[in-house]
Amino acid sequence: MTRLKRGAAAALAALCILPAAFAQEKYPSRPIELVIPTAAGGGTDISLRVLAELVEPLLGQKVVVVNKPGGGGTLGMAQVVQARPDGYTIGGLWNAPLTMTPHMLPAPYKVSDYSAVSLVTSSPTVMCVKSAFPAADGKAFIEELRKNPGKYTYGNDGVGGTIQLAAERVFTKLGVKARPIPFAGAGETLKAFLGGHVDIYGGSIPPIMPYVKDKSARCVMVTSAERNSSVPDAAGLADLGAPEEATVLWRGIIAPLKLPADRLAILQKAFASAAQSDKFREFMLKRGEEAKGSSSAEFRNLIDSEYEAMGKVMAAIGLTKK
Amino acid sequence: METLQPLLNGFAVALRSDVLMYCVIGCLWGTIVGVLPGLGPLAGLTLLLPLTYQLEPTAAIVMLAGIFYGAMYGGSTTSILVRIPGEAASIMTAIDGHEMARKGRAGPALVVAAIGSFIGGTLSVVGLMLFAPPLAKLMLQVGPAAEFGLMLLALLVLCFVSGGPALKTLMMVLAGLLIATVGVDLITAHPRFTFGSLQFVNGINFVALALGLFGVSEILLNLEDIARVKVIKPALRTLVPRMQDLKDSAPAIGRGTVIGFIFGFIPGISHVISTFVSYAVERKLSKAPETFGTGRIEAVAGPETANNATTGSSMIPLLVLGIPAIPATAILLSALQIHGVQPGPQLVSEHPNVFWGLIASMYIGNLVLLVLNLPLVGLFVNLLRIPYAYLAPTVLLVSMIGIYSVNSNATDILIMAVSGLVGYVLRKGKFDPAPLLLAVVLGDRMEVSLRRALTISDGDWWILLQGAMSKIFLGAVVLLVCLQLAASYLGFRRKDMKEN
Repeated sequence: MTRLKRGAAAALAALCILPAAFAQEKYPSRPIELVIPTAAGGGTDISLRVLAELVEPLLGQKVVVVNKPGGGGTLGMAQVVQARPDGYTIGGLWNAPLTMTPHMLPAPYKVSDYSAVSLVTSSPTVMCVKSAFPAADGKAFIEELRKNPGKYTYGNDGVGGTIQLAAERVFTKLGVKARPIPFAGAGETLKAFLGGHVDIYGGSIPPIMPYVKDKSARCVMVTSAERNSSVPDAAGLADLGAPEEATVLWRGIIAPLKLPADRLAILQKAFASAAQSDKFREFMLKRGEEAKGSSSAEFRNLIDSEYEAMGKVMAAIGLTKK
Repeated sequence: METLQPLLNGFAVALRSDVLMYCVIGCLWGTIVGVLPGLGPLAGLTLLLPLTYQLEPTAAIVMLAGIFYGAMYGGSTTSILVRIPGEAASIMTAIDGHEMARKGRAGPALVVAAIGSFIGGTLSVVGLMLFAPPLAKLMLQVGPAAEFGLMLLALLVLCFVSGGPALKTLMMVLAGLLIATVGVDLITAHPRFTFGSLQFVNGINFVALALGLFGVSEILLNLEDIARVKVIKPALRTLVPRMQDLKDSAPAIGRGTVIGFIFGFIPGISHVISTFVSYAVERKLSKAPETFGTGRIEAVAGPETANNATTGSSMIPLLVLGIPAIPATAILLSALQIHGVQPGPQLVSEHPNVFWGLIASMYIGNLVLLVLNLPLVGLFVNLLRIPYAYLAPTVLLVSMIGIYSVNSNATDILIMAVSGLVGYVLRKGKFDPAPLLLAVVLGDRMEVSLRRALTISDGDWWILLQGAMSKIFLGAVVLLVCLQLAASYLGFRRKDMKEN
């Protein structure tokens, strides 16, 4: 009986102390959950898992990765937006659920519903053609598309995905037209491209590299403003006169909206320096991607401007929700 | 002979103590995720993927490949013991495998599954080694149009040879095709039949559906008549297959190997489809097709061999072209890319250790799995001594945890429960849920490949007849329909004459 009473008293005391402790607690004092809104094993998942491991010593806490796929990334994203803003639930994701999918699906969050922590990686989409294609470089490629509107097909990684929208954004600006054929990822696109079922490969750089090396394929443009060192012959958007229309596949860390500023700063500092570490830089380079590590404000600007640009592109090609 | 020298070098790599250890770890972990229902090779691979960041590429790929083919060994266990498929490729094994267990013959079923797996797995590595480049070239010919023809062919074959009454099979197939349409339209990005919920945007989870229709429905059926479920007390004598069992299984294992190797080229769903085809072929060729479903050993041997035989051929597009044709090989691809190894035409010349080390490790791994699995048969069969009232709910609980852990999504458990009820009603009405599941798997790809082809051709239907592969597949479809019509016409005539 006494033991029970003592237990109850202790519990009561703990209850009273808890809010006070919460206010003064050193952050982070327990493991942080990193929600990744895609299935395990994809590009976003692998990059962010490696990053999570590098962040752990900087934060002095475990970072536990939880995969929550579904709804084009919106399900996991919603879980982060609705989480308690205590910095123990954060999200790691690629652009689509933030700047693209909400235009298309009834996502339960707005672009202003979360805090941006840091942009951690970026990689351009590359457009490549077979060696027999009648265009030697980026300018000639655009001219060929301009001469034959809607004649050529390009494979991409899915309707409303980063690659299609990055391409459409440039094509719309330059006034040319090619027909997008959606596939489930770069592998299927590559297969259709090699088999001659689509004319243009649109996707990430690593899968196409063996075919650039044996000269059966030629990359003509990337969707970043600058050229990319792995495919130095492909034109950047600056070469084509549209540097402001750059869309790349990026990955970043977000947190719930009302996260206290000091905690946001701790997270930003840890993730940015982990992303800038030599180990992560080298790892991303092997995957044909670039490690970043931006400030919160830079990341916020990128999200806002891309969200707006994507809204326009998606409306123009009829992808926005009715 | 020119493959012999590099292969021997490959064995030298694969037998290095560290590589061998990772091979055994991979096989062991693969068997475990295969045995646990709800967790398949994909979940097993992604769980161990982070470990491989620190390894050198050969050890990494050897371990991950071991998980991939090891899971095909383990899948049969719960299918046979309690009729809950250990993974999607063991759905067909559940039908006759569990009937065998009921008759006290779980031992032979498990042994034959392990032997078939070994033969199918090993021969498909031989195929991979000898024919990879030409087969990869052939695969590139299959574009969206030809893929549609292939899917249509597969669906028709399975409808025609399915055992149930034609009308019931057709109803199940149509229901499956309808379920396959749930989710975002892959061409227009419009959500279909999702009732405004984001939960169904990616479609209905196939593993949850299969576990419900097969596993949960079985438990519900048993609830009706709990006295009927006797505790099976296996004796040592009944563990080992009889000579007759092996004689019956041998041809099924041979056919399963060929079927699995060929269907391994189907993108996305090869290991599941191959088991359906193998089961159907065994029934069609059997002298007593009506006894299928009552515990025929061929019906276990064929599909279990076939799903392992897909492992070699589904590696071909990855290794030769750098194209992952199924989700499991997509993870193998990321594991290689992490180490800066890009599979493709230059893989063999640039990274011979990775390529030949992997091939050699697959021979070793299959042997390891056989040695590992045969003694386990005794252990697994003894699980049946546990009364059904404890065993079945435990397996059910494990499958719920498994299915939840993959997507951390409670909707998947709900799907499993609801499809369990639906499966119960279907089986009370003598509807076979297998054609429904098959249609769900095939329907999705069939629709997407058709619409992709039409997008490429800008709406011109003639694209379906362009290219040699499309012509072959559609020709086979027409031939099959004609044969079936002729057969049923003659069949009716014969029946008419008898009645007269």
